[in-house]
Amino acid sequence: MFKDHVKLAVKNLQHRMSRSLLTLLGIAIGIMAIISLMALGEGMQQAVTGELSSLSDVIIVTTGGGFFSSFGAGESSGEYFTDRDIATVERTQGVRDVSAQLSANAYAEYNGKKTIVSLTGMDVIVMRLQYESQRLDSGDFLSENDQNNIMIGSGIAYDTFEADVAVGNRITINGKKFFVRGIFAKQGFGGFSSDSLILLNSRDFKKLTGQSNISMIYLRVNNVNDVESIAANIQDAINQNHGRKTFARATTMTSILETVQSIIGILQLVLVAIASIALVVASIGIMNTMLTSVMERTREIGIMKAIGATNQDIMSIFIIEGVLVSSIGGILGIVLGVFGSQGLTMILNNFMMMGGSSNLTPVITVISVLLAVSVSLFVGVLSSLYPAWKAARMSPIEAVRYE
Amino acid sequence: MRSDVIVTQNLSKTYGSPPLQVFALRKTDLQIKKGDYIAIIGPSGSGKSTLMNLLGCLDKPTSGKIFIEGNDVSMINDNELARIRREKIGFIFQKYNLIPTLNALENVELSMGFAGVDTQQRTAKAKKLLEMVDLSKRLHHKPSEMSGGEQQRVAIARALANNPSIILADEPTGNVDTKSGENIMGILEEVNQDGETVIVVTHNMAIAQRAKRVLRIQDGVVTEEYV
Repeated sequence: MFKDHVKLAVKNLQHRMSRSLLTLLGIAIGIMAIISLMALGEGMQQAVTGELSSLSDVIIVTTGGGFFSSFGAGESSGEYFTDRDIATVERTQGVRDVSAQLSANAYAEYNGKKTIVSLTGMDVIVMRLQYESQRLDSGDFLSENDQNNIMIGSGIAYDTFEADVAVGNRITINGKKFFVRGIFAKQGFGGFSSDSLILLNSRDFKKLTGQSNISMIYLRVNNVNDVESIAANIQDAINQNHGRKTFARATTMTSILETVQSIIGILQLVLVAIASIALVVASIGIMNTMLTSVMERTREIGIMKAIGATNQDIMSIFIIEGVLVSSIGGILGIVLGVFGSQGLTMILNNFMMMGGSSNLTPVITVISVLLAVSVSLFVGVLSSLYPAWKAARMSPIEAVRYE
Repeated sequence: MRSDVIVTQNLSKTYGSPPLQVFALRKTDLQIKKGDYIAIIGPSGSGKSTLMNLLGCLDKPTSGKIFIEGNDVSMINDNELARIRREKIGFIFQKYNLIPTLNALENVELSMGFAGVDTQQRTAKAKKLLEMVDLSKRLHHKPSEMSGGEQQRVAIARALANNPSIILADEPTGNVDTKSGENIMGILEEVNQDGETVIVVTHNMAIAQRAKRVLRIQDGVVTEEYV
């Protein structure tokens, strides 16, 4: 019986091929939008999680407003940690690899042009940890024994001086010549920008500036599980050193990760909600097509009833028709969504220059595919329910009399 | 003694409500026996279609009773009516009323499908019936690819598919040429000779006079004419 209903539904769809295809396309586009936007969101989640979770044992201590306001932005709050703070951190239980990031302003001169830049100094090992995920335009990272070598961001290399700086060139900083060892690729927005960075090792930094302005303390913990409590302890201890409750802020990657994930989560929800509008429009399309079809087939429905079809038979034929359209559309939408998400990420990668290994790749999960399939089935049933009900309650005489 | 196939008691059908009430059929008592060959005649608007719809279980009476093979069907629900139509009644319409998307074979199989007959049996039966109406070479033609006479013969095959007790034909020759009409009446009479009850609704006297009983209906009142 069910097989007969399917056969009848298929024949009807074939009979109105172009209309069926257009309706189907509507669903396909809706599902495509959902699949590709979900894949994009999932890709973002995984990119961020992958990058940050490898740093889950890291604590970053900054002065002032915290991680987001100072880290990587090349600016400092004007307040610095002291050597006593470093000692405090080093004394804290369960801590290893404590290192400081130094910053200062300096005069840089290249090809006859002089300008003020901000310098960042840190131990080479920390440099590697902090910037390992970023692409280099050319050159190499600094190594332990390098002297008077620097790495620069693309903004410094291409936009600061009149002539472009290349690897192997020398930049004069506060009267002393430094050899450009590596140039970071352009980052633009997003990511931890390194565009205006001039990076040198702590030794050279102290020698050059005679200062040790510690803008940031970077450390790892032995046991990842202790990371939050150690962060709190360090923050309290440093604040006590300075006699102020809000002097320092210790941030863990876990808390950053949570924040970023919840932002992406909301973003994802909004994207899917927007995509759902397409699906709602498509389901209205199905309902419209089906209602037209019921009107056109009034006579046919009457005939089927006259030769013994029950109301349930008629209903089932029309619902199957709707479900067929929406599920074929759904499958097509999933296939299109796979390609669509690739295209979308390609565009996004080009526009946003996510940079480094954090290049976005779309991730299509089993859940999103299952969701798409069930949503399209649901849409099919829902939007054909009313037309099917209308068809089923037609009186056979009225229907047969219909000219 | 032949058994009763259809019995009606005080069967009435009205449309609208007083004072604008229209009597389409007034207190009709009928007794139709197995193997009868009946013509129902009358001018248009006389209540012919109403009677045919009631006898065919397409419609429910306003009052009175109608028994099909002894079962009262005047008060039963839509699904039971559908079952009665499927099992007891074969319809033939003036305009053939085949499903345009299905070919001849599928059209004949359709009502067996609704009755739950399995696929193989269905196809075999449909082929046999189409052979009987001389359409073995047209099995896979769609209605639009057949002549009026051919379509009506497919409709006859479809009407016979579930071995009904009654064949109800509404102007079966109304839309075909004389030769095809003759052919169609010939088939119906053959079926009647095999013991099937045949009821033909027509306003063509030549067709009506071939029947064994003629019922005339005028202004909703049925009278028996003896020929």
